[in-house]
Amino acid sequence: MVKSRFRNFAVGSTMLWITVFVVVPYLFVVLYSFLERDPAAIIAWNFDLAGYREIFSPVFLVVCWYSLLLALGTTVISLLAGYPFAFILARMPRPLQRMGLLLMIIPFWTSSLIRTYALIILMKANGIINTALLSLGLIEEPLNMLYTQTAVFVGLVYTLLPFMVLPLYTSIQKLDTRLIEAARDLGAANRHIFTRIIVPLTMPGIVAGSTMVFLPALGLFYIPDLLGGAQTMLIGNFIKNQFLTTVNWPAGSAASVVLTVIMCLFLYVYFLSSRKAHTSGMGDMA
Amino acid sequence: MKKIMVAFLLVILPALAFGARQEVYVFNWTDYIDPDVIKQFEKETGIRVRYSTYDSNEALFAKLKIVKKDGYDVVFPSTYFVERMRKLNMLKPMDKTKLTNLKHINPALLNKPYDPDNTYSIPYMWGSSAIGINVRSVKEKDITSWNDLWNPRYKGKVLLMDDVREVFAMTLRSLGYSGNDRDEAHIRKAYEKLLKLKPSVKVFNSDSPRQPFLNNEVVIGQIWGGEVYQANQENPDIRLVYPKEGAVFWADSMAIPASVRNIDAAYRFIDFLCRPDVAKKNCEFIGYATANLTAQNSLDVRTRSHKAVYPDAEVLKRGEFQADVGEAMLVYEKYWELLKTQ
Amino acid sequence: MKRALRFIYLSAVYLFLYVPILVLIVYSFNDTKYSTNWQGFTMRWYAQLFTDSPLKEALINSLIIASASSVFATVLGTLGAFAFYRYRFLGRKIMYSFIYIVMMSPDIVMGISLLMFFITVGLAPGPFTLLLAHITFCLPFVVVTVYSRISGFDRTIIDVAKDLGASELQMFRHIMLPLLMPAIIAGWLLSFTLSLDDVVVSFFTTGPSFEILPLKIYSMVRLGIKPEINALSAMMFLLSLVTVSVAHLVTKENR
Repeated sequence: MVKSRFRNFAVGSTMLWITVFVVVPYLFVVLYSFLERDPAAIIAWNFDLAGYREIFSPVFLVVCWYSLLLALGTTVISLLAGYPFAFILARMPRPLQRMGLLLMIIPFWTSSLIRTYALIILMKANGIINTALLSLGLIEEPLNMLYTQTAVFVGLVYTLLPFMVLPLYTSIQKLDTRLIEAARDLGAANRHIFTRIIVPLTMPGIVAGSTMVFLPALGLFYIPDLLGGAQTMLIGNFIKNQFLTTVNWPAGSAASVVLTVIMCLFLYVYFLSSRKAHTSGMGDMA
Repeated sequence: MKKIMVAFLLVILPALAFGARQEVYVFNWTDYIDPDVIKQFEKETGIRVRYSTYDSNEALFAKLKIVKKDGYDVVFPSTYFVERMRKLNMLKPMDKTKLTNLKHINPALLNKPYDPDNTYSIPYMWGSSAIGINVRSVKEKDITSWNDLWNPRYKGKVLLMDDVREVFAMTLRSLGYSGNDRDEAHIRKAYEKLLKLKPSVKVFNSDSPRQPFLNNEVVIGQIWGGEVYQANQENPDIRLVYPKEGAVFWADSMAIPASVRNIDAAYRFIDFLCRPDVAKKNCEFIGYATANLTAQNSLDVRTRSHKAVYPDAEVLKRGEFQADVGEAMLVYEKYWELLKTQ
Repeated sequence: MKRALRFIYLSAVYLFLYVPILVLIVYSFNDTKYSTNWQGFTMRWYAQLFTDSPLKEALINSLIIASASSVFATVLGTLGAFAFYRYRFLGRKIMYSFIYIVMMSPDIVMGISLLMFFITVGLAPGPFTLLLAHITFCLPFVVVTVYSRISGFDRTIIDVAKDLGASELQMFRHIMLPLLMPAIIAGWLLSFTLSLDDVVVSFFTTGPSFEILPLKIYSMVRLGIKPEINALSAMMFLLSLVTVSVAHLVTKENR
């Protein structure tokens, strides 16, 4: 066990922050989930499981399922699109790398709502893409792009891509090229170099990027609503409606707690399996 | 880290110190007031306007419910939120003697069930939600009733609002019930009817329903009257039809929260907005119908006679203002969730 | 051939990122208040922006909060990631799982629970509570990014440094910090981006006298987004582009 003032400072400051601003407010949520709803005062201080009873319905399961699929899909697409991008970027000369990264992030300093509206201008029935294709004579009828599943994924990837690319970049960037060269000298095929060396060594980045896309994507709903036409209900809508429309904080809190528990189980199983698979020591943070 | 905090405080503190001047804290939608009107008010009264924004009545309600002191002086809740908030003692009853311009407000909009005698709220802007159509694809004479949305001819081209109350109010009226019905059996019937409409719906949108119309994504659906007026500035093909079962009406009102800081400034601000010349400016800027009759009469004829914005008295009478449904909201939400997850 | 392929892929991704930005810049000259259809060229949205716009004040507030919270979150998050990696302490794993909980908490839950917490401890909502909230939701992204970089390192580096008599602080400063720098920068970039775009948590945790840009933008949809906001976004975008290019040229000169 290391003892030093620096250790105490590093551990203390983080733990203090997380305890005060994350754990305590989260305990509020857990507490509300067990209290009684009161139309006048929002919450009445009586123990009540109604919040949980209300959300245990097929509707909640469907809502969770949609959100899960959407978040998973977004994560996979972001990973597939982001990995080669991060890889090429991390292999460029240093100053170009920095430039490339900044150029990637600058578009994201514009409000995501405004950018989503720009996507609508591109994809709508009388939008830029359709007008261009029609005037070129490539299509007869406007393509139906807006309010489709594709539009939703385009929008979600467009919003979350940097959360995949940046951690991938940081872990690819420290990859020791000598390992790849050595493998190549030993006659390994490109495919094997990639699956046996590059992927395992950049696994921390893949895991970090995937969690940073997957978890926020779970709760997002305004992009799917705008681009998908709000045809379905996602966990984000569901919880928001409990808190705002029906002012049913116990149900909203319960939904949030259940979501957390499901995800924690999910992550726990994932880390257990990845520890068994012995992928580069990422299991130690389960 | 300390340096950052100090730098931060240096930026913030002077801003706070300047607060010595009288201020009025206004909580409203962005652009729901002409910026020149705010400047004019500041110049005339010397009171500084602090303007912040919310994006839904629900959010406004939640914030006012949690933050009980040092809040806002003037808020703009819509129709049934006035009712909900006054019942929960979240609003201050108004002293009408302080509002000299009250006489200009349209009497047809006063004394509604959501706030009898307007003890707590003064109407600001108002409007309807009715049926919007694009006459290039839908014949105006074919549309007379909410039931026409169910016509299979429009499958895949229908817009519904992304608002549980609006959608159910429309359906309930099409069934002959009140849009403010609290009877679960009726709500369930409306839900079953909506299930048949759902496959026809291309998009749910209540933020700005004119956009899918202007974008040629839909040809028929629910729309706010004011949105049709705005759409017509560019595209005359979007029309509003008041269904025979009656349209649903809303009003955004000015109100003073119970947690008011500067009540005198609040009265002065509200009274200022009720002044006909100011109300006229605001309504020209916003594009919705003003609740100020004197101001309405001073508008140019084209605007004043636009039926989508200012419906006839008969249409107004046939329609219904939204009211709070109390605990039935839970029932509405339950069926809304079922509808959305189908 | 391979180079060309790389170049094409890179360009494709940048194209995907920049085409919508280009669209919003073009539409900032659109002469309409009411739709997203092209109605003719105008400069009036820029004129409006420069004369007097409530958007300006909100933008400045946003930049203050984003800069302050991203720097603070980066410092704290880097320390945190290092602490999680290097030290064993009570509650380490539980604390780390809370990092994930923050990331997946729907904004509304976080906004309301933080506001309730601030009210309970007697902090009036305002710029300060807003800052605390922003640091809190940025923190996990820094921790996870930095941690992912640290976790692949050879622990022997630390042992060697310690054997050479370095204190924990010296080891952190002279060995870890330089090694972690790309991840720290990445964490800062993500925090800055997140803070600049947050709506719901900010709505609940700020007070009546301090409004930031995203709140204004979201509240605009009721009357339709006016191109004025496109004009503002276009200006911001060009400004960031110029700043970045100048910084790039300057650091190149120094080499």
